[in-house]
Parts: sequence; C-alpha cells; structure tokens
Amino acid sequence: MKIAEVPYAADAKVSLSYDELQVLRTQYEKEVAQTHVTTQTKFNYAWGLVKSPVREHQVEGVQLLADIYRSEPTRRRECLYYLALGHYKMGNYDEAKSFNSRLLEREPANLQAQSLDILIDQAVKREGYIGMAIAGGAAAVGTLLLAGLVRRAARK
Amino acid sequence: MPASSSGSGTSSMGVTPNDNLREELASSSSQPGFASSSRLDAVSRKLFAPFHHRKRDSHRILTDLAPVIMTPKMMAHAQTVSARPRAIGTSSTRPALDFATLGRTPLRLGLGARRTTSRELEVVETASELLATALPDASPDDKLGMPMPSLLRGFEATVPSADSARVRRRATRNVDAPRLGLKRLSLGTRGLMADDAESEDDVVVVAREQRGRRGRKKRGRESLSANKVFGREELERQTREIARDKENLHVRRSLLHSDIAEVTAKIEALDGIRIKLEEDLLKLQEDELELDDELLMVQERLELETSQSRSGSMHATLMSSSRRRKGPVFLPSEHDELPPGVAFMTLECGSTPITSLDFSEPYGTLVTASQEDAQPRVWDLLSGEEIGRLRGHVGTVKALQVEAHLCVTGATDGAVRLWDLRRVDGDAETSEWDLSDVLEEAEEEANGDTGTGTGDSVVVERPHAGPNGTRSRSRTTTEDAPGPCIRVLEGHSKAVTALYFENDTLVTGASDKTLRQWDLATGQCVMTMDLLWAISHPPATVPGGHLPGFSVAGTFAVPMPPYADGSWELYQDFIGAVQSWEYALVSGSGDGAVRMWDMRTGQAHRTLLGHTGPVTCLQFDEIHVVSGSLDKSVRIWDLRTGGVFETIKYEHGVTALQFDSRKVICAGGENGVKIYNRTSMQHSTLSTNGHTRPVEKLRYMDRYLLSGGRDATVKIWAL
Repeated sequence: MKIAEVPYAADAKVSLSYDELQVLRTQYEKEVAQTHVTTQTKFNYAWGLVKSPVREHQVEGVQLLADIYRSEPTRRRECLYYLALGHYKMGNYDEAKSFNSRLLEREPANLQAQSLDILIDQAVKREGYIGMAIAGGAAAVGTLLLAGLVRRAARK
Repeated sequence: MPASSSGSGTSSMGVTPNDNLREELASSSSQPGFASSSRLDAVSRKLFAPFHHRKRDSHRILTDLAPVIMTPKMMAHAQTVSARPRAIGTSSTRPALDFATLGRTPLRLGLGARRTTSRELEVVETASELLATALPDASPDDKLGMPMPSLLRGFEATVPSADSARVRRRATRNVDAPRLGLKRLSLGTRGLMADDAESEDDVVVVAREQRGRRGRKKRGRESLSANKVFGREELERQTREIARDKENLHVRRSLLHSDIAEVTAKIEALDGIRIKLEEDLLKLQEDELELDDELLMVQERLELETSQSRSGSMHATLMSSSRRRKGPVFLPSEHDELPPGVAFMTLECGSTPITSLDFSEPYGTLVTASQEDAQPRVWDLLSGEEIGRLRGHVGTVKALQVEAHLCVTGATDGAVRLWDLRRVDGDAETSEWDLSDVLEEAEEEANGDTGTGTGDSVVVERPHAGPNGTRSRSRTTTEDAPGPCIRVLEGHSKAVTALYFENDTLVTGASDKTLRQWDLATGQCVMTMDLLWAISHPPATVPGGHLPGFSVAGTFAVPMPPYADGSWELYQDFIGAVQSWEYALVSGSGDGAVRMWDMRTGQAHRTLLGHTGPVTCLQFDEIHVVSGSLDKSVRIWDLRTGGVFETIKYEHGVTALQFDSRKVICAGGENGVKIYNRTSMQHSTLSTNGHTRPVEKLRYMDRYLLSGGRDATVKIWAL
C-alpha cells in the first residue's frame, strides 16, 4: 500500500509570505465565484492558512481541510494528516491525536505521522508539567498559608 | 506567569523554532525523563480517573443512547466547556481537569482573554464527525490509470513561489544592452508618458560582475548573448531548476487532467439528473392529462346526476358511448392489487382466431366473435365463464359493439343484429330453439321488455336469417321476448365489416362499399353513403386518392403483410373501421384513405391520405384521428389541419387500436400488445402470460384491457 506523501510537521511552521497567501486566497475566491473549486486550489489555500501564524487563519484552514475531507474520499488519508497538523498547531491536541492515530492505523509506516504523534505527545506532556507546576505551586502556597495559620493559632 | 512563554508558542503562535522541537523529541526518547514523564502521565491518569471520561467517552455514550438529543452544537458546547478559559480560581476549585488542561489554562490567560470563536468551536465539533466517516481503502492512485499527484506535490507545483526559479533564471539572462528605452516604448504604446527615463534600469537585475566584462565601447551590432558567461555552477543549477520546473509542469498537467476528468464525471452525473428530471416532467404532463380526463368524467357525471334528480327518473339515458368516455371507470378495489402489465385471465374461445370483441364495462359482459363461427360468445367477465351464445347470423361476425346491455353485431351475411345481453341464457336451453322454428311473423309486436317469457312456454326464436325466406320480410324484424335478438337490420348486400353506434345512431360499413346510417329506435336505414362515389369524386382539395393497383370495381382483396409468426391472410374488409359522433363520421377503408363524412349531407368532406395500405382500425376524439393500417403504421392526424401529427411505425400490420390522451394501444401483428406512451414517446409491450399467436383485436377501459388473438384466446390485462 502506498503511503501518503505528506510534509513533516516542521513544514507547517514555516509560514508563507503575505503576498503568497494573498495569491492563494485570490485564486480560491475566484474559483468560488465561478462555483467550481478544484481540490488543489482549495488545498493550497487551506495549507497556506494552516501554515500561517494567525490563529484565525489556522481555524479557517482546518475548516477547509475538513471540507476537502468530506467531499473527496480519495484524499481522505492525506487530509487526516493535515487535519492533525492543523489541530496540533491550534493546540487542540486531543483532536490532533485522534486524527493522527486514525492515519497511523492505516499507515503505521508513515514517518511524518509518526513524528507528529511524538510531537503531540510532547506538547501534551509539557502542558501536563506546567499544570503540575501550577498545582504544585498552589499546593505549596496553600501549605504555607495553612502552616502560618496553624502557627498563628498555636501561638495564641 | 512564567510558564506561559514557553507554552504559548506551540499552542497558539506556532512559531516555536523547529529545531527546538526536534531537540525535545530526541531528548525525550533517549533520556530517563521519558520514563518519568510517562509515569507522571500514569499518576495523573490514576488521580483523575473518575473525571477522565469528561470529553469523548461521555458524549459518545450519550450519542449512542440518544443520538437525537445530542446535536452537534450541543456536543461541541459540552466538549469545549472544559477547555474554555476560566479564571484560575475556578479550575482550582474544580480539580476535574487534568494537568495538561491546567497547564494550558494560564497560557490562555496570559495571552489576554483570547476568546474561543464560534469558528473554532465548529472546527472542533466537526473533528469527531470527520473521524466517524469511513476511510476508503483505495489510495488516490487506484482511481485513475494515471497516478494522481499528492496534495503536497500539487501545492509545491502550483504555489506562486514555484515560478521563482524561472524568474530568477530569466533575470540572469538579462544583458546590459545599450539603452533601448523599452520601458518608455511600452508606456508610450499604452499612452502613458514616463517623465524620467532614469527609473528604467532598476527593473533589470543583472549580475554586477558581468557588467564590467561587457565591452561597452563596441559599437557594432552583435548578438545579445554573445558575451554572456554564466559559469559552470550557475548552469548546473539552472539545469536542476529546469528539471524541477518540468516536473512541476508535469504535476500541474496531471492536476488539470484529473480536474477535467472530474468535471466530465460531474457533467455526466448532471446529464443523468437532467434526464431524470425531464422524465419527471413528462410524468407530470401525463398526470395532468389524466386529471383532465377525470375532470371531464366527473363533470359528465354531475350533469347526468343533476338531470336525473330534476327529472326524477333513475333510469336516465345512457351516458355517452363508452368509446368516447374518458377518465376512470368503476373497478373493483381488488383490481388495484393486480400486477400491472400482466394478463390475469384467459378465455378460450374455440379454435379459430378472434375476429371481434367488445365488453360493456370492466368485469361486465364480454362478447367475442371468432372466424368461421356465426355464433358470438357471451362471457361473464367477473367469473370468466361463458354465459351463452348469440345465435342468428349465418356468417362470421366481423364487427360488434357492446354498450351496457345492448350488443350490435355485423356479419359476413350482410345482416346487422341487435341483441339484449340480459336475455342470453345457457346453452342447454337455446339449443332447442332451432327445433321450435315456428311462428316467424306472428309475434312481431312482442317486444319483450317484460322479460317474463324465460320459460319454455313461448320459446320462439328467429332462426338463421336464411338467405331465401327471410329476405322477403321487412328490413327490420322484431323478435319476441325470450330470444336475445331484438332486431335484424338488413340492407347491406355483402359482409358487414365495421360498425359503430352511439345513442340511437348506428353506422355500418360493408364490403358492398357502402356506409349505412341506421336509427336504432326505429330500425330504419336513414342514409346510405357510397364509398365508390366518394372515391371517384374526391373533395376538390385532395388529389385523387386510392392505392395504386386498387381496382374500384369487383371484390376487394389484398394479401396482408405476414404477422410476426409468418402467417398471413387475404384481407377483404373494404371498410376497416367507422366511428361517428353526432353528425360527424369517420371511415377507414381499403384504399388507405381516412374519410370524414357529414351525416347530414352524406358527403365526404375531407379525406386524409397517407396510409399506403388498407386502414383496419381508427378512433377519433376532439383533436385527433388515430388510424392503424396494414402498412405497418399508426398515424395520428390533426383534425383541425388534416395533417399527420405523428406516425408510429411497427414491424407488422396493425389490426386494432384504441387511444386516449396519454397512450395508444394497438395490436401490431405480434404476440405482445403494443403500448405507445404519447407523452414520453416510449414504446412498451405487454407479453407476460400473453398470447401465443399474434394479437388481432383489443379494447380497453381505464386500466382494464382485453385482447383477442389468433390463438383463439382472449386475455384480460391489468394496465
């Protein structure tokens, strides 16, 4: 079985220039006006949007990718990866993870998907650490306060 | 909040350097931290186990249980409730969140109350929906013979920067020619005047070091490329670039190909849809026609019932002839259960082909006549049993019509008989009649409307209208009560081949080449119309019209075109069909002409020419005359213009037809009954459980069709 040709996650972080995105947008809007949007144009615009650092763009990009996913069954496998990437960039790690694992189910040998999987795990973990730190900090502060109160109470 | 700076990059900004991530990736897999972090995961999972189902699971369970109440909106809402940024206080009071979510919270706060947009909700909402859809097994390449480039390749090939290499190469080829003022030229041609020529040179970017090498002092004209030197490295680079560009072109070409294929497929699909819609449109047209007919029928009925209530008599006059009646008839409800297009009843009628048949109403009374059989059979269509026979003719009955209880038959003996079908009884009784062959003239007045004499007390029946003795009698003979024969109309000297009656007017056509009009109430021949005279004196507008080779004098006989089974007969019915309406009469004759007569004058005022064989059957309504002929065609004529409105071709000679606004049903010399849909112009054939030899005659009302074939059977069809 052929493995979908997809970029590494790093590619998603390199954003297009404003002009380039503008060209893609114009092309897409032109085709929308003609009521026939080719998949490639739609994808180009979506991928450009996902690469963008602006969150609104990413959201729009993911929406377009979802559109492609729905309408083009033959492109679904590729789209799974891009959707996973998009969600990953947006910080929706749960969604990213589920899309990516869906792809990995089918293509366990897909290197890009494998690395994205690890990236997602790391991101989740990092947030976990931060969370723990916060919780820990809060606990420490709480303990201190409590200790202070206890001491104060004991002093009385 | 110190944590926010490191986390915000990945979650929202998306600009964390890639190397950073790579490092992390590498370290996590090699260092013991990986194990500890997974342990941490486990711990946190354990700790928050009771709350862990918060998202997916609970919703999945809910959707499974009650998919109706879990609308996507609701799911999205519920799903994002936990992820929504909250004050840190809230999250601490609700330890239901795991550490990751807790970790995310401050960054969101740190970014300054970035609100989750509805779009974002939508995106998250669609995620689960997309995941639920099936993933096709076929990879994109399998669909077309030509491999489809991946989306990424397509992107690389079509993105604007794909052209950058080419632009660069072109720029390197720009040479520092003596100033030509090209820009000014172009501006000039566009009607713009550039005021400073100085701005020109910044357009062209030429490698600076080459500028020095160029011989500036040379005045002579030389090729622009002559002095250009690129260097090996540059040229190799260009080679590579060109190769890549070509590859890109290839990708774009295949993209366009697949787009074209897609559009073609879409056009095909749309074409299919259009055809379907057009069919629906035709169906609507058909339904409208049906409704029109139904309305006519209802209005007729209304008139009838109001006139009945006014006059008070329940036995009003007959509704107009069943042949002219349109719209639905009264059918037993069980009829609807019958499969359409299938013969559901078969009546065996002796051993000779059916020559004529007619019935009073669906599931009513049927009369059939067969070749070489002078006694038409009477059937009960409800039970499918033979009730009795009409005895009296001495020749084959070639034409008959039934309206309610009244039956009129015309036979090769030249006589026309009227029968009361209510008085037809079983065979046992009637077989005696020939013996009690007495008292012919004695009871002429006894016009049995009492119906008392069913016993054997006064069994008097007029025997065969013998060629000798009976001719001496008056033209009309009144029969006595028990016999079904009410009247005998004599006048034609040869076989009666066509007849039609409506109300009290009867029209007959015979091989003596005359048409006669009779008054059924009195039994008098009102008028005789001579076809020979009409043929020899055609209406002025029509160029003389009879078939070539047709001799006016003598007996008419042409060989029929063979039926589908190869058999054929000599066709001798000079007048194939007649129909009248009030004073209008239409006849179809052996010379292939359809004539329209005025019964007030007895003149044929119009002749429709077109058929190249004898006309065997016809019917007309307010707009059209439809005639069938042995020339293997059915023609639909427009009454107003007199032209052919439509010609329907068949493989064999047409022997019978009937039509309404929606269809033409005809016997086309084949085993199957032919149906032509006038709205959709489609042909269909009824053959399931059908005749084993060609169909000869047919007659239908609404969805109840009878056909008589050369296999001596009558088939009853549900349409």
